[in-house]
Amino acid sequence: MRSRIHHELGRDPWFVTGAVVGLFLLLLVLLGPCLAPHEPYDMSFIPLSQPSAGHWLGVNDGGMDIFSELLYGMRNTVEFGLAAGLVSLVFGVAIGLVAAWFGGVLDHVTMRLADILLAIPAVMILILIAALFRPSPLALALTLSIMLWPTTAKGIRAQALVVKNRLHIHAAGQMGASGAYLIVRHLLPELFPLYLIGFATKARMAMFMEASLAFLGLFNPSRKSLGIMISYALKYYYLDIWWNWLLPPVFLLSLLIMTVTFLAISLEKVFDPRLKEAM
Amino acid sequence: MRRGRYIKPLPAFVLAGLIMVYASYRLPRLLPGDFVSAMYASSPVTLTADQEAQIRAYYTRGEGFSRYLLNLFTLKWGYSYTFLAPISALILEALPWSLLLMGGAHVISMLFGFIAGVEAAWRRGGYVERAGVGCMTVLEGIPEIGTGVILLLVFALYLGWFPASGADTAYAMFSPLGRVWDAAQHLALPLATLVLAYFPGNFLLTRGSMVMVLREQFVETARAKGLPPVRVRYAHAARNALLPMVTRFGLRIAFMVTGALVVETIYAYPGLGTLLFNAISMRDVPLIQGIVLISSLMVLFVNLALEYVYGWIDPRVGYAQ
Amino acid sequence: MKRSVVKAACVFVFLAALVFSNLPSSMASQIREIRISDSKGDWGFPNPYRHYPRGPGYVRMSWVFDTLIWKDQNGYIPALAESWSFDADRLAFTFHLNPKARWHDGRPLRPEDVVFTLDYFKKHPYRWITVDHVSRSEAIGPHTVIIYLSRPYSPFLSDIGGTMPILPQHIWGSVEDPERYNDPKAFIGSGPYLFRDFNKAKGTYLYEAFTDYYQGRPKVDRLIYLRSGKPLISLSTGQVDLANIKPEMAEQLKGKGMVVIKDERGWNKKLMINHRKFPFNDKRFRQALAYAVNRQEIIDKSQRGFARPASFGLLSIDHEMYNPETPTYSYDPAKARTLIEALGYRSGPDGRLTKDGQPLKVELLSSNITVAGESVADRDGEVIKKQLESIGIQVDLVNMEQATTDSKVKSWSFDLAVSGHGGVSGDARILNEMISSQYGAGSVNSARYDANPELNRLLEAQMLEMDQEKRKAIVFKIQEVYAEDLPAISLYYPDSMAAYNPGKGIVWFYTKGGISKGIPISQNKMSLIR
Repeated sequence: MRSRIHHELGRDPWFVTGAVVGLFLLLLVLLGPCLAPHEPYDMSFIPLSQPSAGHWLGVNDGGMDIFSELLYGMRNTVEFGLAAGLVSLVFGVAIGLVAAWFGGVLDHVTMRLADILLAIPAVMILILIAALFRPSPLALALTLSIMLWPTTAKGIRAQALVVKNRLHIHAAGQMGASGAYLIVRHLLPELFPLYLIGFATKARMAMFMEASLAFLGLFNPSRKSLGIMISYALKYYYLDIWWNWLLPPVFLLSLLIMTVTFLAISLEKVFDPRLKEAM
Repeated sequence: MRRGRYIKPLPAFVLAGLIMVYASYRLPRLLPGDFVSAMYASSPVTLTADQEAQIRAYYTRGEGFSRYLLNLFTLKWGYSYTFLAPISALILEALPWSLLLMGGAHVISMLFGFIAGVEAAWRRGGYVERAGVGCMTVLEGIPEIGTGVILLLVFALYLGWFPASGADTAYAMFSPLGRVWDAAQHLALPLATLVLAYFPGNFLLTRGSMVMVLREQFVETARAKGLPPVRVRYAHAARNALLPMVTRFGLRIAFMVTGALVVETIYAYPGLGTLLFNAISMRDVPLIQGIVLISSLMVLFVNLALEYVYGWIDPRVGYAQ
Repeated sequence: MKRSVVKAACVFVFLAALVFSNLPSSMASQIREIRISDSKGDWGFPNPYRHYPRGPGYVRMSWVFDTLIWKDQNGYIPALAESWSFDADRLAFTFHLNPKARWHDGRPLRPEDVVFTLDYFKKHPYRWITVDHVSRSEAIGPHTVIIYLSRPYSPFLSDIGGTMPILPQHIWGSVEDPERYNDPKAFIGSGPYLFRDFNKAKGTYLYEAFTDYYQGRPKVDRLIYLRSGKPLISLSTGQVDLANIKPEMAEQLKGKGMVVIKDERGWNKKLMINHRKFPFNDKRFRQALAYAVNRQEIIDKSQRGFARPASFGLLSIDHEMYNPETPTYSYDPAKARTLIEALGYRSGPDGRLTKDGQPLKVELLSSNITVAGESVADRDGEVIKKQLESIGIQVDLVNMEQATTDSKVKSWSFDLAVSGHGGVSGDARILNEMISSQYGAGSVNSARYDANPELNRLLEAQMLEMDQEKRKAIVFKIQEVYAEDLPAISLYYPDSMAAYNPGKGIVWFYTKGGISKGIPISQNKMSLIR
């Protein structure tokens, strides 16, 4: 069963592209500081210089090397996305499983809570908090996770309910397995595909949010981010900076989001037989 | 049963609404003591001592929550010190433009995305169809900020076909038709950006669910009955494929709002997005608060309306409740 | 068949209406409208008490309110006053008003209005000029007014003559609180344009030509100001006919057929020095700073080469009273070191200067500044820091909001600060404002330097000398002494440019000496008057 999945994934062009590019991007993120030829905060270069041997993408208006900025900015964006995705996943899974397993009042209450959170436009609260309090990016990522867990929780809960009623769970229960054991040893692993998909979608949304918030100026102005690079580059639209300053962050951001999208799509395809038919 | 269906979603939404209003009421008051001077010190706006005192008083006097709520309904949303105008006037001036942009983009992308998705599913397997799906998947990965910047540079700067900012030409003495044309020209690029951002998702989703629906028994039946293919597609099959698109819209609306904000800023389109952006850079707390609250409440209303739309589209949902 | 003909006809009529409604006016020499943009947009309501106290605010008011005299490309020209003369013995200026001058509501403009304006400004001061040295004024006959000075005041013609807007007595006579006077009558002036609309949030202004203007009907029917952050695109797409541009845009715009004009050097960047504390209170140290700073490098790095080194005498090189013999300091780090060492500092092994074991450490303040109405980031601080460090001075660069920097400078709690201001090509009175405490107490850009008695004497003298030639000699000397003492160091003049669409038939220009008091903006109303 595992190998079938691996085989299918391997044959799916979306997955392959997504995985290859994703790996490359991950490498860039991990090795970023080593690859960057200069300190991104070093403002000693001649501003708005064109690309050269020493500065592959030239220099920005503050005198900082664009290529180094790009690497650090990408890091921050990915960090934000992963953090938000991970935390929302943990919340979503925990709450979803608990709601499905214990049912009753707990289920009811948590699902009501999820409904309310879904109704509140998460983004707005995020903007309000970012504008008023200027918290650290990590705090914002956590706040975003609070807005994102309901969809995951609902999905997990729905699937968990199905699995819960399967024969082997009943059997294990009959044999004396405790609730905790069943949850951890059976439900958790069996719902694995949903985690990947949920994580991918949430991480994708979070990265998009990070870039947008940075573009709007809601982060510390000196924090490197793809979004704020685009914002600054746009100010100098009248100079010849399209190719070296404006497009690279746009391209990289799109690449990041695309990669995660591809991975999410192919995972959904492979793990959800109904969808697979549609593709 | 019918009445129950309309009332059921209300409590959650009213509660959500109240929470939003309370959050916007409470949060600024949680800011550290002298936030007024701190805020405006880093803002290009200089307040007179009088204005500072007024803002401080506005936030510290123990204005009750119920008072706040009442003011909300009577359009007393506070006063902006950057623009020296009541916030309600600013928001109401910017709102129509935002609705035009976002509403237009959603309508167009849903309509065309839906039709394209249905047609693509009907003609499944062809080379064109597969290429289309591939392209759309790629396009879906490009965020609004990217397409916005590119369209601005290519069509406004390089080609000069469209204006780069504003929603209309100030003080232009146009005939009503001229006005519409002028507004359309200004709307073109931001609208195109948003449509490009929303279309792929709608297309792919519709196509995906349509493919599944086409497999169903009742479609075979309709075909067998000899109904014209268009009728089969739209009147019978597509209705079922409609639901996921609408559902998706509801879930993603909050994120779409951020995207629209960014697009408005890129094109300096005078809707709520640009207003918010200016408020943020000017650190105008009352204005930020006002815009966030009003737009959240609007999103809330839309979501509530969607709940009813689901029921209308898919009667099963209505009965299930 | 009939139906389709009718349909076609309707479509045709529709299209024709659309086309004809947008055709330009048929009067060849009358231009329908001109649009001007800037990035800020909102400069306040266009009347003397409500426009923002910056150049662009004054300019927007100047379309509506005329002054006694005005300037064009070459110098002073008649405005409300057809001719004027000065009687040195009686210290009196006589102005003969143009009999055709009238207010927007049709009433004729009389000398009593000028007298009233002077009195009114004494009671409710107008921020831009002072009327302190006017002792009284008299209306003589239907078109003459004589203004008596209590003491000599050399910038009189520039201030009272060329900057002071004349208010209508029949309207303002009853106004007790001018700043809150909101009535439409508050905008009745005698200028070439009627004020029609101002939208604060959008930053737009609408003016309509005053057809009975005494100098003839203005060339353009409607004048519109808008806000645009992207002048290159706005000019290229024809949304706007005149805009300030960044120097890099010049070539592209010329290529598209725009005319690019460049301002004389009227705005300078300055290094403010706290000359009240050691070691800055020693002239030699200040001179050392001048030798240590490489101004060309600052220009290259922070202005991308689009600027020119400034004269150390504060007055612009383009000023008619500029002294070409003003002492100058070339980039000479070795000399800088020598001068500092003369004060008792020694170079340590790491190159750092120390005295009695204390390293020489200075704090340099830097912030965002506004150049002719546009906000730019200030990178000069970075470059200066590096330059000073290379001769052994430790520099702590502190970036703050402009308001905070300003207040620190005002309260003397700073060492060095990067700052800038305009007016250096306007009336020579700018020297007093930017050097002495007496004249420059309120300005955050003033050096407030009173330590040199000879300089003080000269500054006083130049304000009292009504003879232009004699005044010029005094101003020459002031520049010499100032450049010798260096209470502040002038760095460079950033290039300031604008571009306009010649197809509209209007020629825009930068006024020599700046509009009125010295505003370096290219929107001189004479461009729109025949």
